[in-house]
Amino acid sequence: MNLLASEWIKARSVRGTWLLAASTVVVTVVVSLIGVSGLLADWRAALPSDFDPTAIAFKGVLVGQLLLATLGAQLITGEYASGQITTSLTVAPRRAALLVSKLAVAVLLALVTAVVTVAASFGASQAALGAAGLPTADPTDPATVRALACATAYLVLTAVLGLAFGTLTRSSSGALAIVVAVALLVPALAPGLPGALGDLAATYWPTTAGQSSYATVASGRLPALTGLAVMAVFTLWTTLAAHASLRVRDA
Amino acid sequence: MPPSSPAVLQAHALTKRYRRAVAVDGLTFEVRPGRVTGFLGPNGAGKSTTLRMFLGLDRPTSGAATVGGLRLAETPHPAQVVGAMLDARALHPRRTARDHLAAVAAAGGMPRGRVAEALARVGLAEAAHRPAGEFSLGMKQRLGIATALIGDPGVVIFDEPLNGLDPEGIRWARTLMRDLAAEGRTVLFSSHLMGEMELTADHLVVIHRGHLLADQPLAEFIADRTTEHVRTRTPDRARLHVALSRAGLHARDDGTGALVVTGATTDDVGHVAATASVELSELTAVRDSLEDAFLAMTSTRKDAA
Repeated sequence: MNLLASEWIKARSVRGTWLLAASTVVVTVVVSLIGVSGLLADWRAALPSDFDPTAIAFKGVLVGQLLLATLGAQLITGEYASGQITTSLTVAPRRAALLVSKLAVAVLLALVTAVVTVAASFGASQAALGAAGLPTADPTDPATVRALACATAYLVLTAVLGLAFGTLTRSSSGALAIVVAVALLVPALAPGLPGALGDLAATYWPTTAGQSSYATVASGRLPALTGLAVMAVFTLWTTLAAHASLRVRDA
Repeated sequence: MPPSSPAVLQAHALTKRYRRAVAVDGLTFEVRPGRVTGFLGPNGAGKSTTLRMFLGLDRPTSGAATVGGLRLAETPHPAQVVGAMLDARALHPRRTARDHLAAVAAAGGMPRGRVAEALARVGLAEAAHRPAGEFSLGMKQRLGIATALIGDPGVVIFDEPLNGLDPEGIRWARTLMRDLAAEGRTVLFSSHLMGEMELTADHLVVIHRGHLLADQPLAEFIADRTTEHVRTRTPDRARLHVALSRAGLHARDDGTGALVVTGATTDDVGHVAATASVELSELTAVRDSLEDAFLAMTSTRKDAA
């Protein structure tokens, strides 16, 4: 509990934490609305047959996840950048306990941020769709509720992933580069790979699988919870690797 | 207030090898409570690496570095056992002094009240709400020392604590280290400057290229490594020279017109002069500079290596 309190003080006492949390909400909402307006511009020609009013509300997650991952990474890369890590590890030489405390703070911050982000993005997008006379999602529909929960969980996982990459790279820019590659570049490029490899990447790549969890119209890929589970397992393994690295390497 | 658990630092055959170099090579020494121990060596001698191994930050390749017989990670309340400042600049620039200490205090299981106490002890009460990035080096140093002392530890370790301080800051840090030792704590601080040791340390551990060169009281180190001479001037050099030779003392001209007598005290020379009725215009005890002795010591080792 002591370490948790300590990590909470560290996180709340730097402005970057709050800036990243606030920009996650704002940027996600804005990008989702841009997605909706892009749809409005040409829907009369052809509303896609698999139009999913829930999933479109989370277009902004593509960008918001980067900010939330950076928030997670900062919890430890900030310490390496300043050299504070030596003080932290002197006071708390049990490295696993330090990492677990940071994970707890990351999950807490990300959960609050993700709930607000998902609610705001969903609300704004449905309002925009409704105003344009398009079909909207029913927030009482179990499938919609599940999508909202999955989007929230996905965002929390990206923050944990950010912390894990931050622990492995010890650098904010290094962690961000990996997050961008994992969350944006590979999903964009890998499906272009030939044959089974491309199919595999398009289905099972962790962030792609995770993102498919908040669609309500089956996209012919993984069932929602399976997708989220793939992302969760990937996050777990990365976190275990981060733990091993923190324990073995000199500080 | 006396420390809760007096403890000693022990290095036993401590070795740290990197892929291409050996930073610390079979160091064995002990640091005892109640005195200030200076950890001396030129830059790159392996001082910081040794201190980091005591703190469990770096893992020894072989051997052990323990605090009170245990590795730091095995001690039940590390913050109450050892406090350290390795780099005064290692502070998040945007975090206030108070929040920084509050985070450390919480991690060490200290009551929140310690934060204000620690800030007051180092004279930073007024600056508590300011971000550490705005601090001068001297203020960061004080905050670093407050951080090290927040758990009221029995052992304190400072890496180059006097580096870059102004004279007032140096005097403050010196007094603090002496006070901490007087309270019965184990105090170990490193420096690459012999001059910083002379006025602060009671005991010296000297290393060079990862090897132990000396582990002895400062006074003994000075007596062993430097020689005392007597410098004297007289209007009648020839007569004094003869009188000294007769008394079995060797005198030589130092090139400035003075005679330098080795292996004698001012009493001896004064007595010889008085007996021979030679007038003296100067009679001074002179000691080699300790800095020179230290440099000579480390440079001969370099040649041997």
